[in-house]
Formats: sequence, structure tokens, C-alpha cells
Amino acid sequence: MTAIDTDNAPFERPIASELRRGMADCMPVLLGIIPYALVLGAQASQKGLTVAEVPLMTGLNFAGGSEFAAIQLWTSPPHVALIAAITFLVNSRHLLMGAALAPYLRHLPKRKALPALFVMTDESWALGLADAKARMARGLEPAFSLPYYIGTAVIFYFSWIFFTTLGAALGPVLGDVEAYGFDMAFPAVFLVLMRGMWKGFRAARPWLVSLVVAALTYLFVPGAWFVGAGAVSGLIAAYLLAGDQ
Amino acid sequence: MVDPLVLLTIVLMASVTYATRIGGYLLLRNRTLSPKATAVMEAAPGCVLISVIAPNFVANNPADLIGIAVTLLAATRFSMLPTVAIGVIATGLLRHFLG
Repeated sequence: MTAIDTDNAPFERPIASELRRGMADCMPVLLGIIPYALVLGAQASQKGLTVAEVPLMTGLNFAGGSEFAAIQLWTSPPHVALIAAITFLVNSRHLLMGAALAPYLRHLPKRKALPALFVMTDESWALGLADAKARMARGLEPAFSLPYYIGTAVIFYFSWIFFTTLGAALGPVLGDVEAYGFDMAFPAVFLVLMRGMWKGFRAARPWLVSLVVAALTYLFVPGAWFVGAGAVSGLIAAYLLAGDQ
Repeated sequence: MVDPLVLLTIVLMASVTYATRIGGYLLLRNRTLSPKATAVMEAAPGCVLISVIAPNFVANNPADLIGIAVTLLAATRFSMLPTVAIGVIATGLLRHFLG
């Protein structure tokens, strides 16, 4: 060991081991993410996105739910404003997630916190927050381990880009996915995501309003208005029903 | 390889998404949301997801309608991967046999 190594050791070693700990903890979750990524890439290529455009979307946007919604609604040329609005609605949960994480980020300067939030996903947020609560219980300072969180997020980030691109490259080989039933993967993914958000029937009433309004709009109004109509009706219902939960 | 309108759509999506990621941290860190605002934000992702897939619930052929019912049932019981497999295989078979 050189003098420099010894000097740096107390700082570098915990960071490297925290990174590795994060990477290890995200592995089981990663297994569940890979199939989504492949399905998203394949469906994107069916909708006409190129093998260059898919990693551009998944690398810059990096929020799976909104990418599934965007691809589902994708046309050529795309409805730019509709897709941006839907992206906001699907990802509005990030506002709550960021607010929940904020008390744990007080020890970080904004120049570190803001880039770290670029890679915040449901998964790395949940892992990072759970880890912070566990560290706090053990009296560790700071409770939120940035390298641990970055370890989880980096693996998700590069895996997401890699496997969506792979899906896009393999998509044309698979042919018309609707001929088999692969298109049912989307509702399946969405329904499982919603089960994860399930907090009982009363809390889910706005979803029912959304479903009914969106379905009726789809049947009677041409175009993609059903998404906006359904989403907005559900939000109004959530607002009106809020007092009563 | 990259269409300008596609690029614009992707850049807008990315900007909107990043705004949601930093917005909660920057704006809400020192505030508490009203119960109504919290209820709306908690319901929002589900409202959007169900609206996007609403056409599947009013499909015009029995194979797809039974397919979505089977998928919904699977989603209440199984994790992601089995649910996707059941939904895809059931719908594929139903389309094959029911036309």
C-alpha cells in the first residue's frame, strides 16, 4: 500500500463497498425488469421507432411507465403534446417520491442531489429510502447512503437502455406481435403496476371513473382523446371523493 | 435514423419527466400537501394507466374480452412475469380458437 492509498482509504473504501451493496441489492428486482424492457423495445419497433430512437427515449426519459404509455399511444407522426401530457401524468408520482426523499437529502448539496434525482425510479427510490430508514435505526450518519442509491440506480439505468434496445433489435424478428397475443403484455404490465398501488376499493374509485369515461370516449369519440378524458375524470373524482376516505 | 419530430417528442418527455423528479424535492420539501392534493396525486398514475388500456375492456371480439378478463384475474394473484405470460398465452390461444 502506498501513502496515497492509505490517505484515501477511509473515504474510498466505504464508497466502493456501498456502491457494491447497492448493486447487489438491486439484482432480484432487475430480473423482473428485463422482460418489461424487452417487451417495450419490441413494441416500440413495431410502432416504427428505430433502434437509435429507442435508447434515446429510454436513456433520456428513463421512466418505464411513461414509456409504455407513450408507445401504446404512438402514431407516425407522434401526437407530441398528448404524449408529453401523458408522460407528466404518469410520472407525477415522482413529485411525491422526491418530496418524501427530500428530508434524507439535506446533507447533500444541490449539485449532487439534482443529478442523483435524474436516475430516481420507483425501484431505486424504494431501495434507497428503505436503506436510509434501516441505517437511521442503526444510528448511522448520514442515514441516506448516496453511493448505495447510485449503485442500484446505475445498474437499472444501463440495463434499461441495453434491454430496451435489444428488444427493439429483436422486434422485427418476432413479426406482428398482435397475431399471437403479445400485445396483451401491456395491459398485464399496467394491471400488475396498479395492483402494486392498490389501497383498497374506496381509494380505487377514481380508477373506475377513469376506466368508464375512457372506454366510453374510446367508443364514441375518434382519436386518442380517451386517455385525457379518462385521466382527467379520474383526477376530478379523486378530488371530489378525497374528503370521504 | 432519428426523425426530428420523434426527437422533439423524446426531448419533451425527458424534460417533463426530469421536472417531476426534481420538482418534489425542490418545491415540496418544506411543505405539507393538503389531503385533497395528496389524494389526487396518489390516484393520478392509476387513472392514467387504466385510461390507456381502457380500449382493451371494450374490445369488439370475445377472444380479446376473455383475454383481458383472464389477465385481470392473473394480475390480482401473480407477480409481473407470470401475469404477462398468462395474459399473452391465453389471448393467443383464444384468438386462435375463437377467431
